[in-house]
Amino acid sequence: MHSDPPPSLEKRYARIGVVLIAPTVLVFCAVILYPLISAIYLSLFSIYTPTLAGEWVGVDNYTALLASGDFWNAARNTLIWTVGTLMLQLVFGVAMALLLNQSIVFRSLARSLVLFPYFLSTVVAVLVWRWLFNDLYGILNHVLLIAGLIDAPVNWLGQMPNAMISIILVGAWKYFPFVVIVVLARLQSIPEQLYEAATIDGAGPFQRFTDITLPQLRDVLVVVVLLRAIWDFKEFDLIYLMTGGGPVRATQTLSLLVYEEAFRLNRMGMASTYAVAMMLVLLGFTLVYLRQTNRIEEG
Amino acid sequence: MAEVVFEKVRKTFGSTIAVNELDLTIEEGEFVSLLGPSGCGKTTTLRMLAGLEEPSGGTIRIGDRVVNSVPPAQRDIAMVFQSYALYPHMTVGKNIAYPLKKRGIREPERSGRVMATARLLELETLLDRKPAQLSGGQQQRVALGRAMVREPQVFLLDEPLSNLDARLRAHMRAELIEVHRRIGRTMIYVTHDQLEAMTMSTRIAVMNAGVLQQFATPADIFHRPANVFVAGFIGSPAMSLVDGELTGPGSDGSDGDGRFRVHCGALDVALPAGLLNRSAAPGPISLGIRPEDILLGSGDHTAAVGLVERTGHESIVRLDAQGTPLIMRAPGDTPIEAGETVRFSLRGERLHVFDSATGRRLNADTENS
Amino acid sequence: MNASRARMIWSVVTWTIVLAVVFPLIWMIVTSVKPQSELFSIPPTLMPETITFEHYWRLLTDTPFLQYFRNSMILAVTTTVVVVVLGTLGAYSLVRFKYRGRETLATLVLFTYLMPSVVLVVPLYLMMAKLGLANTLASLVIAYTTFALPYALWLLRSFMSSIPVDLESAALVDGADRMGAFVDVILPQALPGIVSTALFTFILCWNEYLFALVLVNSDSVRPLTAGTMNMLITSFNIDWSLLMAASVMMSLPLIVIFTFLQGTLTKGFGAGAVKG
Repeated sequence: MHSDPPPSLEKRYARIGVVLIAPTVLVFCAVILYPLISAIYLSLFSIYTPTLAGEWVGVDNYTALLASGDFWNAARNTLIWTVGTLMLQLVFGVAMALLLNQSIVFRSLARSLVLFPYFLSTVVAVLVWRWLFNDLYGILNHVLLIAGLIDAPVNWLGQMPNAMISIILVGAWKYFPFVVIVVLARLQSIPEQLYEAATIDGAGPFQRFTDITLPQLRDVLVVVVLLRAIWDFKEFDLIYLMTGGGPVRATQTLSLLVYEEAFRLNRMGMASTYAVAMMLVLLGFTLVYLRQTNRIEEG
Repeated sequence: MAEVVFEKVRKTFGSTIAVNELDLTIEEGEFVSLLGPSGCGKTTTLRMLAGLEEPSGGTIRIGDRVVNSVPPAQRDIAMVFQSYALYPHMTVGKNIAYPLKKRGIREPERSGRVMATARLLELETLLDRKPAQLSGGQQQRVALGRAMVREPQVFLLDEPLSNLDARLRAHMRAELIEVHRRIGRTMIYVTHDQLEAMTMSTRIAVMNAGVLQQFATPADIFHRPANVFVAGFIGSPAMSLVDGELTGPGSDGSDGDGRFRVHCGALDVALPAGLLNRSAAPGPISLGIRPEDILLGSGDHTAAVGLVERTGHESIVRLDAQGTPLIMRAPGDTPIEAGETVRFSLRGERLHVFDSATGRRLNADTENS
Repeated sequence: MNASRARMIWSVVTWTIVLAVVFPLIWMIVTSVKPQSELFSIPPTLMPETITFEHYWRLLTDTPFLQYFRNSMILAVTTTVVVVVLGTLGAYSLVRFKYRGRETLATLVLFTYLMPSVVLVVPLYLMMAKLGLANTLASLVIAYTTFALPYALWLLRSFMSSIPVDLESAALVDGADRMGAFVDVILPQALPGIVSTALFTFILCWNEYLFALVLVNSDSVRPLTAGTMNMLITSFNIDWSLLMAASVMMSLPLIVIFTFLQGTLTKGFGAGAVKG
């Protein structure tokens, strides 16, 4: 009856779809997939950075990693940093979002201003805070002295545990607006009628918060916590520029360790090994994130 | 010619069968409604005709052209969506002009046709507004105008009135009938509202669970429903359906006058001769009684009166005939109260009998009986 | 407690915190207009006794700052254009087309924007060296695309999926082909989202540090972030006045974008984040 049926509509559309995504896929393969795979490949070599000359060492790098005190130190620091700053980001972020959801004067201005730290360059943030933290001329010490909370200037960045506390604080200041944006968006989408119905049923403000607001926030908070955990875990710029990993590796996280191996100790291979270790941890986080978002979509 | 033919058309989504072996031939110039409950496959059928879905099997023809793989743009059809789908960033005028623009029709002919269509639908003053500034009824007319301006062979309408309030719906129904009369093209109309289907269509295709139940004129669908589904779906208030048994003629238990009898709950009725077709045989059946075919006053049957709903010009009465529930329609001023006991009779020649196993109607005047 | 009293209390509490959050930035601006002498006074003065723009002048005339600024501008604009074009087409493909491997691609996108740049920087550095692109703006554009594109795709996907499918269907029936429907219907509807994504991408590129640090080592190509840090911290004494002036100037595009377009920027960002 027909000589050759025309290609089905669905097939033709599929072809267009593939063409549209092809450039993106190309970019991904070339600039993300390839470096990723070569990182794994490089970790099996010992490479001298300036000349890029290398030789095969197999899994020696990995055994060195496990035995390395530096690695475990960095791992511990990363854990302390991530957990510390994440908790602060969460608490401040949710509190701020709740506040910004109330009726207040110049509310939209307040909402805009509170976002500045997040969109500011890390370089600027670090410069400003290092000036604030300056032991002699920084205003922070000055204010604390006047308030009587300390009786001698504090060395914020050159001493432990101050250094870790300082970067955790600055991290919280810089990134809590992300939590604010996401939580506020969700708060605004809770229908007013839910609260009205609860008020009619006799629920007080605290009960309305626990029975209506919190359950609605739960999904969003899980996503936020996972995302921020991943991003805080891999943070480089902030810590590198604030303390450089010091004093003496006390704030050196895994990201900084990779950088040090690659560009200061000139050991590309070893750096790649540390990088692979980081990737594995992040893979774990990512899988948890995927499972949670899928569960939320289905649920 | 713009005859539309569905031949063994099938659509599956994964393991769900949305449309199952549909055979339907729509003549040119008809106004055909695809009627059925949600999920019956009517919208899927319409979308396959539009080219927005591709059939999993079978053939769809417009005129003498197989259009299974033809993109929507090349099928010479127009569609009015339930959500109107007006382009929010374009003015009303540009919305209506869009199909012409896509066909390469230039100025000044383009504005001319837009203006003519706008005048037809009383939209001339709204041409510079954006859709968001219009009322529901106005948006609906713009959607209609956008479909009409191209003068396509076939118009597809997907529940276009369902977002309007009741009064506006009634008004638009009349307008659509008028439009169809005036342009005379084939119109295929999807709806779940039987009133729309009954008042507007030349023929109605009733669908359920992906299967075509009956394709006939409104009168046929109402008076001669092909099966128990169609009978129960059409008519408001719905037909009362009572399960029971068909006996006779001449078999044990029947009277000896050669007639069929139905025994349904408390109702025991002798059917008029010739009511049922030749294939009718004793067995389990459902008896169908339309509300207007129950007559109050005298008769062999009694019932207790339940709820009485008075709408002004009529009363809808729920009866309980010894455990058998019935709904009937009475004139508005009938003196009847809940709790009373009444006598009633049934219009024998208007009874419907359905085979319990297949659901098919056993009356003699059923199509293809 | 009545509504207006509650409003006052909430306002005071909220604004106190907001001002505390914003204080470092105010301090940055204040410090940048103080003369050097006042800078090191103890106790530090909250309001400058004299206002001077000498640091800004010195920054613009005595340092490669303007060159860094120009580099950052070229870099951010180029990357934004590339990313927005690829991202818009790619997001449209992911949202409105069906083909094999689509879901895998979507998941891969997710994986990549969770990748630490420190992991990518080593192989990327080697790759650029091999391609002969070491120490060029092009290498940075390529590098920035790697982390900006996944974000852009994520944002654009959520914008596009909120456009009703019926609009495209109507365009198809009205006579458009798929790309025609894209240009006539999707693009205008997605425009706020595209603008939002472009701004976000611009800011991301403008603020990036690590790649700029590693992939480039001459001032002619250096962008602002690495340039500022490099220029001022290498000196024996940290010149805080100059640094604060540089910080203010570096933040100018952000302030401009924020003043005019903050609503657009964060609206989709918040919604997109929720959907993941």
